[in-house]
Amino acid sequence: MPQFESDFFSSLIFWEIVSFGILLFLLYKYAFPGILSVLEEREKKIKDSLDQAEEHRFEAERRLREYEAKLNAAGKEAEAVLAAAKERAHRLLDENEQRLTAEAERIRGDATREIEQERRKALQDIRIQTTELALMVAEKVVQRSLTEADQKKFADEALDALSKTQPR
Amino acid sequence: MEESPLHQFELHQWIPLSIGGVDISINKAVIFMWIVIAVAAVLMIMAGSSRKLVPGKLQSLAEMMVEFIRNMILDTMGKDGMRFFPFVATLFLFILFSNYIGLIPGTYTVTSHIVVTAVFSCIVYGLSLVLGFWLHGAKFLGILIPPGTPGWLVPLMIPIEIISQLARPVSLAVRLFANMTAGHVMLAVLSGLTISGGLLIGWLPITISIAVYGLEVVLIAGIQAYIFTILTCVYLGDAFHLHGHDEHAH
Repeated sequence: MPQFESDFFSSLIFWEIVSFGILLFLLYKYAFPGILSVLEEREKKIKDSLDQAEEHRFEAERRLREYEAKLNAAGKEAEAVLAAAKERAHRLLDENEQRLTAEAERIRGDATREIEQERRKALQDIRIQTTELALMVAEKVVQRSLTEADQKKFADEALDALSKTQPR
Repeated sequence: MEESPLHQFELHQWIPLSIGGVDISINKAVIFMWIVIAVAAVLMIMAGSSRKLVPGKLQSLAEMMVEFIRNMILDTMGKDGMRFFPFVATLFLFILFSNYIGLIPGTYTVTSHIVVTAVFSCIVYGLSLVLGFWLHGAKFLGILIPPGTPGWLVPLMIPIEIISQLARPVSLAVRLFANMTAGHVMLAVLSGLTISGGLLIGWLPITISIAVYGLEVVLIAGIQAYIFTILTCVYLGDAFHLHGHDEHAH
């Protein structure tokens, strides 16, 4: 194999070490610092961006929780307001009903009393008229006047008799 | 035109040179070493000079390779290993560009010479030894006794571990050399068969040779550079963290 011919070993070894040394020097001096710094810069930027994104996410989550809490509170408040309104409405309704019932009761009571009064008055009137009529008849019959007391006595007797014969 | 599949590896003295009696003549392999370092240097320096946050194609490619090696080092050696980044990255780029440039027809594969891969593996292994003894002193000899070895096994383990240690540079060098050589020999044999097979049967070897060429380009050239580099990192990492225990040894 040509590779094992030792004639060229010394020159290959020499030039390999020289070439490698030159390449190492050139890359070390001019290539690697730039590339590595760009890589590091990019890594840093990506890391920063990720950190920032994470921060934003936290912030967003915090806000969300805040809003949810606010929403909850608002919901509870609305519920409370609604409940209070319902309660008030019920109360008003009850009050109205009671008031109207009482009013109706009062009107009914008044009417009953009035009717009773009217009835009594009518009865009284009838009694007086009947008495006068009877007296007039009696005067005509007896042709004599009676004293007030007598008149009253006779009238009562006559009325009693009348009420017995004529049930109301 | 019949020629040996090994003909492609032959070298001829182009410009005779010598320093102090040592022959350092220029030949095809030396020229291609220069081409390799020129291509690698130009590409990487151009990529490194355009420091855009959103990279272009060249910058992306260079950054990809650099990041690849950086992650390799961070995985095997940790943050302290970044001191060796220039060395490891240069090694990777040298081997990678040698492998790839060698695949262009008419060129020369520098890494198909055992002496070239041996120099790299000796540098790597020597560096790992120097680093180990420098960081841990005589305690670095403990690398010959794997953690958890029962006392009565120690006399047996030490020779085994010495052999396995010595196998490291040898296998490192032979693996790359053999892979590159084998691939190129196979391509040469298949091409020879295509020519000698003629129209009737020649389509078969050329189809296979296209497939093998694809395999070489897509897998072997890159993977061998990767394997060489990751083993470099592993050996240096072993020296760094003896048995993986004392992470802060220095």
